[in-house]
Amino acid sequence: MKPEQIEVYRTIAAGAGVLATIGLLSVLYKENKFYRVFEHIFLGLAAGWSAVAVWTESLREIWWDKLTGVVETTGAVTEPGRWAYILLVPIGAMGYMVFSRKHNWMAKIPMGILLGIWSGLQIQSFWTVYGPQMKQGMLPIIPTSFDKFIVRSDAPPELAAVTITWSQAISNFLFVFTLLSVLSYFLFSFEVKNRALKNFNVAGRYLLMIGFGAIFGSTVMMRFSLVIDRMYFIWDEFLMKRILHMG
Amino acid sequence: MNDTIWARNPQGDLKMFIGGGLILGIVLFFGVMQTPIQARRPLVWLVTFLSGGFMVAYTYWPKPINFDAKTELPKNGVETVGSFLQQSFGVVSSFVQIIAAFLLGLGIFSLLRIHLMNIARQKKDWVFSVILLVSMLSMIIFGYWDFMIRQGEKAVDFDDPQFWRMPNMVRDFLFDGLLQQMDAAMFSIIAFFILSAAYRAFRARSVEATILLGTALLVILSLMGVVAGAWDDKVAALAGDGKTGSADFIMNFKITEVAGWLKNTFQTPAITGIKFGIGLGTISMALRIWLGLEKGGKA
Amino acid sequence: MKKGGIPKFVIYALLIACCSIPLFFKIPIPNKPSDPSVDFYKTLSALKEGDVVLLGSDWTGSTRGESKGHMKAILRTLMRKNVKFVIWSSADPQSPRAALDVIAEVNAERVANKEEKFQRWTQWVSAGFYPNADVAINAVAQDVRTAFGSRRENDTNGVQQQIFKSPVMQKIKSVTDFDLVIDVTASKTTDFHVQFISAKNVPLMFAVTGVMVPETQVFYNSNQIKGFIGGLKGVFDMEQMMEKGINVKDANGKIAVASDKISGEIAPLPGVSVGQGTKYYPTLHVALLLMIIMIGIGNYEMISARKRQKGNG
Repeated sequence: MKPEQIEVYRTIAAGAGVLATIGLLSVLYKENKFYRVFEHIFLGLAAGWSAVAVWTESLREIWWDKLTGVVETTGAVTEPGRWAYILLVPIGAMGYMVFSRKHNWMAKIPMGILLGIWSGLQIQSFWTVYGPQMKQGMLPIIPTSFDKFIVRSDAPPELAAVTITWSQAISNFLFVFTLLSVLSYFLFSFEVKNRALKNFNVAGRYLLMIGFGAIFGSTVMMRFSLVIDRMYFIWDEFLMKRILHMG
Repeated sequence: MNDTIWARNPQGDLKMFIGGGLILGIVLFFGVMQTPIQARRPLVWLVTFLSGGFMVAYTYWPKPINFDAKTELPKNGVETVGSFLQQSFGVVSSFVQIIAAFLLGLGIFSLLRIHLMNIARQKKDWVFSVILLVSMLSMIIFGYWDFMIRQGEKAVDFDDPQFWRMPNMVRDFLFDGLLQQMDAAMFSIIAFFILSAAYRAFRARSVEATILLGTALLVILSLMGVVAGAWDDKVAALAGDGKTGSADFIMNFKITEVAGWLKNTFQTPAITGIKFGIGLGTISMALRIWLGLEKGGKA
Repeated sequence: MKKGGIPKFVIYALLIACCSIPLFFKIPIPNKPSDPSVDFYKTLSALKEGDVVLLGSDWTGSTRGESKGHMKAILRTLMRKNVKFVIWSSADPQSPRAALDVIAEVNAERVANKEEKFQRWTQWVSAGFYPNADVAINAVAQDVRTAFGSRRENDTNGVQQQIFKSPVMQKIKSVTDFDLVIDVTASKTTDFHVQFISAKNVPLMFAVTGVMVPETQVFYNSNQIKGFIGGLKGVFDMEQMMEKGINVKDANGKIAVASDKISGEIAPLPGVSVGQGTKYYPTLHVALLLMIIMIGIGNYEMISARKRQKGNG
């Protein structure tokens, strides 16, 4: 394509993108036909792309080439064909029996393979994920320097790194308390009779709210970024650059 | 290239082997179909147990160090199993990925089935089903066409628009022009609902809600560079230049320090606790599935 | 529930206005990059020419407001430092194409700036999409040569070859041979990377969406990852650090981007670095301010309603 053709195409594509964006955002007013048209286009395109990419980006090389081998244009065989890979077709096909009234149980066989592997992986990975986190959570809660409340800026960095002041000990205690109380809240989610444990769980629930509050703040940032991206696309990339040729 | 029972030369009898494998597969499929009702659940469990068992064995069986199957022979039973697990790990992983890829088609198949039925029975709003199927078909046609062109002329960089032909352009239009933009629009809608819900429901009604609200506001403020910059400058001005104890103390009230302290002292352990709780739940669920203790569903 | 107060259409219109109007103005914003962002950039800066990075691209258009900015900033850095990379995906079939499009965009930008195009096959390769993310990431962690073994790419003459024959993959025998593993993600692939790849002691970093920041912070605090950039703030942090360096004094002796996380300074990376983050971040301020105001109004209404009720009672 020539550069001027590319520019015309880019303008048309951006225009279509803007129309589709407005179409989908129109649901904020109410569910309407304009929205539903674009909703169905979106679903169709997404499903269509999955059908394309599953072959072009995945199965073609990880399955078909292994099954049929690789022969270069020169006639040299670089990979032999592994015929046993064809046996995966009937196993995969069993998944599609979910639509059969009589034999839908067969779909559990490929699912069983995936779930079995998943279960095995969990046993393998549990410690890798939580081991370092638990180790990191065991913080010292008794100060090593009783005469200072906070780390002083004029303290040598090497000394500051190994000294636990009162303020750090308190922070560490709060850390350990939060971790244990949240864990307790989770683990003893059934009715607890012990008064101390009950109060500990209540503290866990309060402290959990700090975690959820932080998640809320970050979620707001994420969602607003997505709206800003859409507005930038409409106003800057389409209107200013493509239509008004500014900026 | 030397043929083995599993790997055959593509220019030799490979096709025959694939044909044989396919027949074997079809027999297997129909054989499984005939499984008596009482044997179905044990069969599903056996498949699950063997798959999980492979991963567990791979993790816990002694591993050969820097193993090379071409030059090393195992010297006893333990090493034989170890080298078998080592060699077959890649194959098992690829088998699982291939099965998962086959199952990705389930969603597409289901969508096709529902919408073709809508059209055939001319149900309410069947026109939308036509729109969906036309979009899907267009993407499939131009997606593959684009791919075929790329495969046909391998030396050309078709990611550069100057080399595009019509199908490459249409594929770009459908994927970049529409799908990616619509995907972004679809997910941005939630922001509007969050704002509206925050106005209506995010209120300091109880102690929990107040803590939630306070932390959320502090995190939001700390994400705003202008606010954080101005606040921190004020605190620094208040503390002055001297390296006194009180100056050091005041410096702790910078918003970035306070937000960081909250993050490291409360947020991190709270989320570690949540995730550890979920992790315990996950591993117990994994064990139940693997050992066949999960009684859900009917086989 | 009784509906009152500000109608929802007004709230929606306000959000659209707050996310649109500031985009027309160039507003400089002071910034203190977060500690994980500084560590992220520090680790990227320490890469040398010829190093190889395994770059996971597990995002799609749905989070392009953040992830595309992350991807672009990382690619710009890697390309300018002449660091080779392998790109791969395991989260969504759309991910590989989305990543290839960003690479094409950054390459077009390089050509426009009279820099050399970063060449596929000799400087980067794509290992495609692998369904079932946990199994795929584990396969790469255990045996990368088998996991990527069937992947083929066009060499410079247009002949398809296994990617392990490419100059990018010459030294890669196992995942530990990668100098760095990065995952740009909007999904649970962070967990899987920590489960399988961090266990191999390979330096690991993430670029995550805003909502994933708190949980990624846990991985950072427990030293399971070297650093991470999160959300739009992460994009802005990266662009500012690339543009202005860290702890670098300008002509007036002022430090534009300061961090006590590093003792010395990191020089700016020459070339165009500002983009999505710098453009969107001021607008995010206005949108967040709107959120604070709306929450404030909501709470004020609640308090005044309670007072009214007490007065009536």
